[in-house]
Amino acid sequence: MATENPNADGFGEVSRVRGILFEYLSFGASVFGLVALGVLLVYVAIDAFDLANASPEWLLTYFLTLVVPFLAFCLYSANDRDVTRRALVALGGGLVAVAVLFSAIEALLVPIPRLNWQLAYLFVVAAPVTAYLAYVGSRGRLGAVGFGLLGRLVGGVAVGLAVGTLFLVLDALLWFLAYTIGVLPAVGLYALGRVRSSPRARTAAAPVGLVGLTAAVFLRDVVATYPSDLIIYLWTIAIPVAAAGAFLVAGRRGRTAGAVVGGVPLAAATAGGFLAAGAGLPAPTVLLAIVLTGVPTAVYVSRVVDGGEGLAGLGLPLLLAAGAIAGALIVEALGVPAPNPWLDASFLTQAPSRTPEQAGLYPAIVGSVIIIAMVAVLSFALGVGTSVFLEEYTPESGALGTLTRILQVNIANLAAVPSVVYGLLGLGLFANLLGLGIGTAVTAALTLSLLILPITIISAQEAIRSVPDDLRRGSDAMGATRWQTTKNVVLPEAMPGILTGTILALGRAIGETAPLIMIGAATTVFRAPDSLFSRFSAMPMQIYTWAGFPQADFRYGVVAAGVITLLIILVGMNGTAILLRNRAERGS
Amino acid sequence: MTDSTESPDLTRRGGLTRLKEGTYGGLFAACAAITLLTTAAIFVTLLSDAVVFFRSIPIAEFLTGTNWSPNPAGGGQAFGIIPLLIGTLTVTITAAFISIPIGTLTAIYLSEYATPNARSILKPLLEILAGIPTVVYGYFALVYVTPALKATLFPEMSTFNALAASIMVGIMTIPMVSSISEDAMSAVPDELRQAGYGLGATKFEVSTGIVVPASISGIASSYILAVSRAIGETMIVVVAMGAQARMPEVQQALFGIPFVNPADVLLQSGMTITVAMVQITGGDLTGGTLPYNSMFALGLALFVVTLVMNVISDIIAQRYREEY
Repeated sequence: MATENPNADGFGEVSRVRGILFEYLSFGASVFGLVALGVLLVYVAIDAFDLANASPEWLLTYFLTLVVPFLAFCLYSANDRDVTRRALVALGGGLVAVAVLFSAIEALLVPIPRLNWQLAYLFVVAAPVTAYLAYVGSRGRLGAVGFGLLGRLVGGVAVGLAVGTLFLVLDALLWFLAYTIGVLPAVGLYALGRVRSSPRARTAAAPVGLVGLTAAVFLRDVVATYPSDLIIYLWTIAIPVAAAGAFLVAGRRGRTAGAVVGGVPLAAATAGGFLAAGAGLPAPTVLLAIVLTGVPTAVYVSRVVDGGEGLAGLGLPLLLAAGAIAGALIVEALGVPAPNPWLDASFLTQAPSRTPEQAGLYPAIVGSVIIIAMVAVLSFALGVGTSVFLEEYTPESGALGTLTRILQVNIANLAAVPSVVYGLLGLGLFANLLGLGIGTAVTAALTLSLLILPITIISAQEAIRSVPDDLRRGSDAMGATRWQTTKNVVLPEAMPGILTGTILALGRAIGETAPLIMIGAATTVFRAPDSLFSRFSAMPMQIYTWAGFPQADFRYGVVAAGVITLLIILVGMNGTAILLRNRAERGS
Repeated sequence: MTDSTESPDLTRRGGLTRLKEGTYGGLFAACAAITLLTTAAIFVTLLSDAVVFFRSIPIAEFLTGTNWSPNPAGGGQAFGIIPLLIGTLTVTITAAFISIPIGTLTAIYLSEYATPNARSILKPLLEILAGIPTVVYGYFALVYVTPALKATLFPEMSTFNALAASIMVGIMTIPMVSSISEDAMSAVPDELRQAGYGLGATKFEVSTGIVVPASISGIASSYILAVSRAIGETMIVVVAMGAQARMPEVQQALFGIPFVNPADVLLQSGMTITVAMVQITGGDLTGGTLPYNSMFALGLALFVVTLVMNVISDIIAQRYREEY
């Protein structure tokens, strides 16, 4: 070969240009989709919050009162000189770089529509730096406490609102009876059985509960007088939740602390509920939101105080709230023109409308919450049942093994069936053949459950498969039956993984539109659904409808607000799933 | 068994325990049976209405007709699938032009070039692309991508067009190509790479000359899956592509060779199979009419095509996989 090489001295020298070019090309390809999506998300956020009309003074005010204290908190929590220096360099250098680059592009090439350099700085530099610092800060003890508290506050309000929404379609009076004469005696008996360690009381709990539930169904129309809704929620949800929180803390810190942890949120919720009723607000929802936020928060605060570490982190929500109030006051005092966001409280609480300013998403949000709650129950039960059967109950060889393989192939194929075909299944089978009604919430929930079932099953199988076999053999050696092993060993170990997979699958269900169109979900409903068989709309359905409106205010305003709402809910669900998985991985 | 009284029988269970075991086993089996029933139900639902449809419209007419108008204003229904197939193919092929090269390069980068740290950040981020609701992608295509393309590259573009929709379908299917291809590339044993380096190959030559050929079956099956996903994609095209079933104009080029101007297809509105199904639901849903039944015929076509593609992708992945 050497004779063919004209440059014999250059042994071992190969042109690296091609390789380097290829590396950069492939890196560019990896981030291409992400960058494209990021740009689109920036624009949709600008439209939803009307940031294009935000004055630089307004942005600066909130940057100083809200973002800077938050960054300071994260840096303080991270307590790392290197990180601080890098963050300051990025923030400062980014400011200069973005301003210069942006001005140059605008002056020399083309003006960039609906974007100025302040916004560009906010999205390109400030947002990633904030996300990075939040990540670094959350690893410090202080930050972990602060974010934990923040998460419980936000999550509690979200769960409270969701539960309140569910009672729009559930019969509160029936629930009241069922709880009082079914659930409460059964739980009481079971607890008594645990405390006295008498198996007889524990065995009796289930039949007693069933009898009570049956009796409740019959008594529903017989009983004439019921307490008001507020009392029902107080009695059936607020008091048990507060009691559970108090019980949890009392075991660790003594009765006084338990009473405080249970009592304070309960009192606040009761007061809030009655005040809201006086002010004409939906009292039960206020009550539920306060109690479901207050109790976990109180339990968490008590635990942090107990641990004695990172106490200052508890101030993070106060810091943010104070920043928001201070920003609002300064803006008010200086008379700075504020943007008029499409995504505001009235958007979330009003019905859809033909005029963009009054259009709201409320009935669609309620529809989505109700459907997702049903889908969650159905797909979780079916998914866990199927995956347990496939992983624990069937052998890998023989006739049953063939059946398992057929089931596996079938599930893999179901996962790839287009969602619009599931819509046809729902229309033909549930809506028309079984008569559940076209466009009802039940039809939608059944259709979407079948749609995400393969994904749920596959992730649940992976979770069950990752439980070490030693645990099963150990349980078998103790003489446990297959069901006992499954119930006591396999499922508790696999549960975080199963829940993560289910939540991720639910995220898929909440954004699905095509099946809803096929089963005839209403494009627009003006009232929230009040039963499982009433016509409903859902968030993606409403977005689809609005996207077809020709007015610019709808296209660039109302739909953007709807998209951001849907994406925030999705991010919340997926974030919960990822936190759950990380915590389980850390625990094991 | 004479000494059965002396040693305890460890396998005996009480009747209640056995009943409990059987009940739970049965319950789980019933759950598993539901997945089989779902497949059967899809088949039966689609077939029963499609058969009614094919009784009035012969299959040959359905498959070769060039006019699709299920609910015309002045009468004269026509159910020809050709214009819908052209729309679907347009979207699928254009989307593949985006997802296949970008997805493959992404997979090569993730498996060969990225540091473990970069990979652990990039991989979940890429999954986000597949997790965004498709109606949101459709909205992006209609409201941001189309105006941007119109202002810069194609001034004659119509508001509803195939190009913007296809770009979004392509971006959405990138993670499908990249994650399956990356799995296949990561499964290539390091010995092959080391052998390549030992022969003096550069990293570029190892990546493209050794890793890609060794994992070609996984890569091919990922392409088929991505294409099958693009065929079934509904909301992006419904929102951004409009709903106009039309045949592209065939022009005569030099020497009388017929051709279709791509701009005529890409920059104009069109209709895919999925859009046609969604459009019919705007009419009636109680059943019994010809358009209602035609929806199921289209659904059957879609179901069969995607099923066949999945099976092919499975076979390719199984049969042509190199065993290491």
